[in-house]
Amino acid sequence: MNGVKKGWFTPLISGLLVGVLIAVVFFVNFKQLNSANNSKLGANESAAEKTYVPPGKLDTYYLFASGGHSGNVFVYGVPSMRRIRTIPVFTPESAAGYGWTTESKKMLGKFTWGDLHHVAISETKGEYDGRTLFATDIQNNRAAAIDLKTFKTVDILGPIANLNGPHCAAFVTPNSEYIFLPTRFSAPIGHEYADVSQFKEKYKGVMGAVQYDFNKKKLHLAWEVMLPPWSYDLSDAGKKSSDGWGVMSTYNTEEANTTLEVGASQNDRDYLVIFNWKGIEKEVAKGSYSVINGAKMFDPVKTPGYVFLVPVAKSPHGVDVTPDGKYYISSGKLSPTATIYDWEKTFKAIKNKDFQGEAKGLPVIKYESVRHKEVEVGLGPLHTQFDGRGNAYTTLFIDSAITKFNIKTGKVIDKIPVQYSPGHAAAAEGDSVSPDGNYLVALNKLSKDSYLSVGPSHPESLQLIDISGEKMKMLYSAPADPEPHYAQMVKADKIKTIEVYPKDTKRPNSVWKEKDAHIVRHGNKVDVYGIAVRSHFVFDAKSKTPDVVHVNQGDKVTFYITNIDLDEDITHGLGITSYNENMEIQPGETNSFEFTADQSGVFPLACTNFCSALHQEMTGYLLVKPK
Amino acid sequence: MRIWKSSLYPIGKILFAVAAALLIISIFFPWWGMTLVAPQYPEGLHLVVYPTKLENMNDLDILNTLNHYIGMKEVNGKDFAELKIIPIVLIAFAILSLLVTFTGKMKYGVIVLGLLCIAGVLGLYDIYHWLSDFGMHLDPKAPIDYKPFIPPMVGENQIANFHTTMGFKLGAYLLGLSFMLMVIAAWRFRK
Repeated sequence: MNGVKKGWFTPLISGLLVGVLIAVVFFVNFKQLNSANNSKLGANESAAEKTYVPPGKLDTYYLFASGGHSGNVFVYGVPSMRRIRTIPVFTPESAAGYGWTTESKKMLGKFTWGDLHHVAISETKGEYDGRTLFATDIQNNRAAAIDLKTFKTVDILGPIANLNGPHCAAFVTPNSEYIFLPTRFSAPIGHEYADVSQFKEKYKGVMGAVQYDFNKKKLHLAWEVMLPPWSYDLSDAGKKSSDGWGVMSTYNTEEANTTLEVGASQNDRDYLVIFNWKGIEKEVAKGSYSVINGAKMFDPVKTPGYVFLVPVAKSPHGVDVTPDGKYYISSGKLSPTATIYDWEKTFKAIKNKDFQGEAKGLPVIKYESVRHKEVEVGLGPLHTQFDGRGNAYTTLFIDSAITKFNIKTGKVIDKIPVQYSPGHAAAAEGDSVSPDGNYLVALNKLSKDSYLSVGPSHPESLQLIDISGEKMKMLYSAPADPEPHYAQMVKADKIKTIEVYPKDTKRPNSVWKEKDAHIVRHGNKVDVYGIAVRSHFVFDAKSKTPDVVHVNQGDKVTFYITNIDLDEDITHGLGITSYNENMEIQPGETNSFEFTADQSGVFPLACTNFCSALHQEMTGYLLVKPK
Repeated sequence: MRIWKSSLYPIGKILFAVAAALLIISIFFPWWGMTLVAPQYPEGLHLVVYPTKLENMNDLDILNTLNHYIGMKEVNGKDFAELKIIPIVLIAFAILSLLVTFTGKMKYGVIVLGLLCIAGVLGLYDIYHWLSDFGMHLDPKAPIDYKPFIPPMVGENQIANFHTTMGFKLGAYLLGLSFMLMVIAAWRFRK
């Protein structure tokens, strides 16, 4: 039996081995294998080759960059760095009719601009899930949600009571339970009058905890935390073993209330604020709060055990939690070091009450008990991103460079100059529990002479760096409008957009057939239920002039228009000359605007979004009969 | 007539049973379709005709929108009474074929074959009728002045920027196969 087995077994195995050997010798490209080890992006490719995405081909990442005081979000493709869209959030934008439609007008309220500083992609189990993008407005204390199926702002919450400049927002918790909005400015609660001489007593810092209902697409304020009158700068949520906790950096622990440039730069150490959001959530549920201006306000001094302070080097800016959730890194922007703190040690110190004192009634944890490493990174360290291989990348504002160092050993590995001063940086999937480790975008706050001159104000810059190898490599520089403050980079296949709105015949105010378009008049209220289709409008199907709307001067007019072109990219628009009314209607969408017809006369109206060869002919009239 | 009085061998009966089954199966598959490709629609717009319905209603909406430029009437599934009749006719044919199987009498087979021939011709004429009705009755006031045309039932043509391919689909082939099986049974397996 044994002999028989051997009879076929040996030749079979040796035959297979020879086959594999031949296959390896002839077909495996060893050069490629080696380069793949050195760098995922291909070590021998030039920077131009690594960023070239041919026409018709798509990028591998979306980069969502906050537009700062433009109030918008800029969307780029990575690695090509092509700007593919601007999403209006806190500022009207006429190309999208954003700020004129009934819905967007309601969302924007009385404000016509906002300062959008940070964006955050929603997360599931610490991974970007590509469902929603959150953003906050420092200027007017608001939070926004952008649906990533349509790339449209779907809700704006605010101004949120008691907040004053949520700078270090938005950051989301690992399962998008909360978006936290800690504020940069301290002020008396509810804008109440109190002279700056009463700063220490009357002024307060506040952190808002906002929740998002993914089904209803609605934001709401859950609770707030009362904090000392300091400036809260940046924050991050714990993850994995540190889930349930959050950390934010704070400066001006001096409590200066004028000439902050000097006043807030006196203390050698400021603080990180460590908070247990799961604990606070439970306390709030139990009723440990007072209602101030409609908000549930939790006071960590009255209910101790949830908020702690950790000393950090002078005037800190960024604080970032490592992908494994074991450490948090912060650096004083007026100190050349970055400190790596250990969450485990932090929890132990809290448990053992290993405190070095108290500030404003909050316990200060002993610095030496929680520090893991201090790293000499360079001048003006701000923000840190990660590659998922145990390395951190910190931007150096004053040095105009990015430092790479190992988190475990604290050893600096590499440093790369960028054109002028970087602020934030965004690594591919860099704020998630598993960064991709191939690209880093440095967001430059100043970009002197990088591009053709456009006069005294220079374009800002986004610089793409290859971080897949041991050494960083500069790949590309893309200009941007002011100011791409912060960004997140998400894998393109995680974003699942729709191309056409579903044909929902039950949608309020929608009309789906040309013959159903009609106008309803009630006294001085005129409601137009019309359709837009290549290449005409129908407002009143029964009329001999179906594309003309007759109203009387003083009438309140609402146009509800449904785009019945259920075809990709066949977007229509509607603008009325001299009436300052404009909207975009995407395929399958129903949109509306309302106005009072106070000027009498003849006002041509037209499709504003190029739709077909006969787009120019897609017009009509608003006839306003004089009183 | 000998064929009228003859009967079938068992294998001939089976072929008629299979033919009946194919008739029923063909109800669930598309019979005819057209695909329109243009630079703006590289993935093509598809219109698929089942014996019971028109499919790809979304593409049909787009097609109707595009057709209005040359003044073509709106294509609407509800306008085709055939889509209600055809399945009934098919079931009737299937029952007749099974009658042949059970009785083994070729006279029923001849009736089925004869009626099928008539139905086939009517069916083909019906498609031609619709194609010419839609193609020849273009609104003279349409934005684009296009010469009336009759698209081929099977084949290709060019309408403005659209390259159109038309032809029979699986359901129609099943129907043809069913007819062939009956012919083979009548020709080879009868005594």
